Amino acid sequence: MTSSAAIGRRVAPLLACIGLLAAWQVAALALKNDSFPTALEAMRAVPAILGDKEALINILASLRRMAIGFAAAVAVSIPLGLLMGRSRTVAAFFNPLLMVIYPVPKAALMPIIMLWLGVGDIAKTLVIFLGVSLPVIYHSFEGAKAVEEKMLWSGAAMGLSAAQCLVRIVLPAALPEILTGCRTGLVLALITMITSEMIARQSGAGNILFNALDMGQYDTVFAMIIIVGAMGIGLDAAFEKVRARLVRWSEPQFDMPLSFS
Amino acid sequence: MKVLPSRSSEVATPGPARQPATAMIEIDHVSQVFQTSARKDHLALSDISLTIEDGAFVSILGPSGCGKSTLLYIVGGFVSPTSGSAKVKGKTITAPGPDRGPVFQEFALFPWKTVLGNVMYGPRQQGVRATEAEAQSRALIEMVGLKGYENFFPKELSGGMKQRVALARTLAYHPEVLLMDEPFGALDAHTRTRLQNDLLNIWERDRKTVLFVTHSVDEAVFLSDKVVMMSRSPGRIRQVIDIDLPRPRRRTELLLDPRYQKYVVDIERMFDDIDEAGVNP
Repeated sequence: MTSSAAIGRRVAPLLACIGLLAAWQVAALALKNDSFPTALEAMRAVPAILGDKEALINILASLRRMAIGFAAAVAVSIPLGLLMGRSRTVAAFFNPLLMVIYPVPKAALMPIIMLWLGVGDIAKTLVIFLGVSLPVIYHSFEGAKAVEEKMLWSGAAMGLSAAQCLVRIVLPAALPEILTGCRTGLVLALITMITSEMIARQSGAGNILFNALDMGQYDTVFAMIIIVGAMGIGLDAAFEKVRARLVRWSEPQFDMPLSFS
Repeated sequence: MKVLPSRSSEVATPGPARQPATAMIEIDHVSQVFQTSARKDHLALSDISLTIEDGAFVSILGPSGCGKSTLLYIVGGFVSPTSGSAKVKGKTITAPGPDRGPVFQEFALFPWKTVLGNVMYGPRQQGVRATEAEAQSRALIEMVGLKGYENFFPKELSGGMKQRVALARTLAYHPEVLLMDEPFGALDAHTRTRLQNDLLNIWERDRKTVLFVTHSVDEAVFLSDKVVMMSRSPGRIRQVIDIDLPRPRRRTELLLDPRYQKYVVDIERMFDDIDEAGVNP
């Protein structure tokens, strides 16, 4: 049975999007400002960008850097966070370092990184790596810390070594928390990707956006914002699908647990 | 305050020294000190000596904070004693091992594994082939009364069912000693009774050595061959009581049995004494 409430839940987000675009359209028409194109003008510029081979190469190069930076950050941060969560010595060593790095906007490091590594892929990927690392380390750390001691004892009684416990008990037990960190990390990867390209203007989605701004092509500017926003929403939704599958066991499938002794 | 002579060891071993071949667990002058703050040490266990024979069902009974769980963790190898030693089959315990299987009050199931996955975990870790481990595990799941729930996740089960899974998971790797840490403490009265009955039925099949920590007097008397009474602050063995009641035990018959009633009343009196004496931490 599809109730009207269920239909309402499906239609509501669509209405919100249409509402936003309508408000934009009305506001742009009312203001009549060159630097504020209407929603329709911006939307018309989207296929023009996506149809342009040069622009596509740029966007794909951005996504490639983002994917590499994100993957490398996750590969380093999860083991580090888990080790920190299970060893006070490791945590005591890394915590102060992370406290120093944490409040620094990663894009602010871009000038130094550019100085050392140039304006190419390596510098930009490194900034993305730094941006993604912190939330993933933090959530892995918290997740590992919260693992019930008795679960580890149960594993040890079965003959698991300390290293096996870390991989086979702490990692899966902390996975819901780790994936929450990865989800935050994914959005941060997109943000640092664009900001790094703003600073090191050479290629990429951020570069298209700011070049258009310099040349006063405001419809392209807004179209790029729509494209980047859509990429973010799409990536986040895809990740959420994967996440929900991986941690199905931690979310209640039934309203109430079965009950009999 | 009168200082009690630390003679608990002699009271605690009323005989098994005669037949050392059957000793499964030997706890020898174990003391445990915890650092509660930078300056204060807390003596959780003081000079505990106890021998548990092979195949015996022994309960450790005492008020909360008497260190009874700590004693169980020492036997499990999860905590090392500050002084003294514990042995299993003559070997000093230094680490956890599959010869000693714990069952915790908190269940401690692996939530990412199904019921079957949890029960199979131990045998698989021990190198049992997957098909064989699965067949054994399915049989155990049936034995603890959970047939049909093999593919459920722990999240979907009630507390009593979770503890059944935890018991099956531990039995699956054939430990020689079961270490049960207030296993039914988190369950409601009805569920608790059912699990006690089922545990006794399972235990009577293969008579593994069981070390069972509880604060419930009737639970200890109903289940055990021997009840070790502990007092608090510091945790010492106060008395070891042999429970001379016939097996197999039926709860409804026992409740009417004057011998059972006497055990319960005597031990409860002792509990009261401990409570009165124990207000001096």
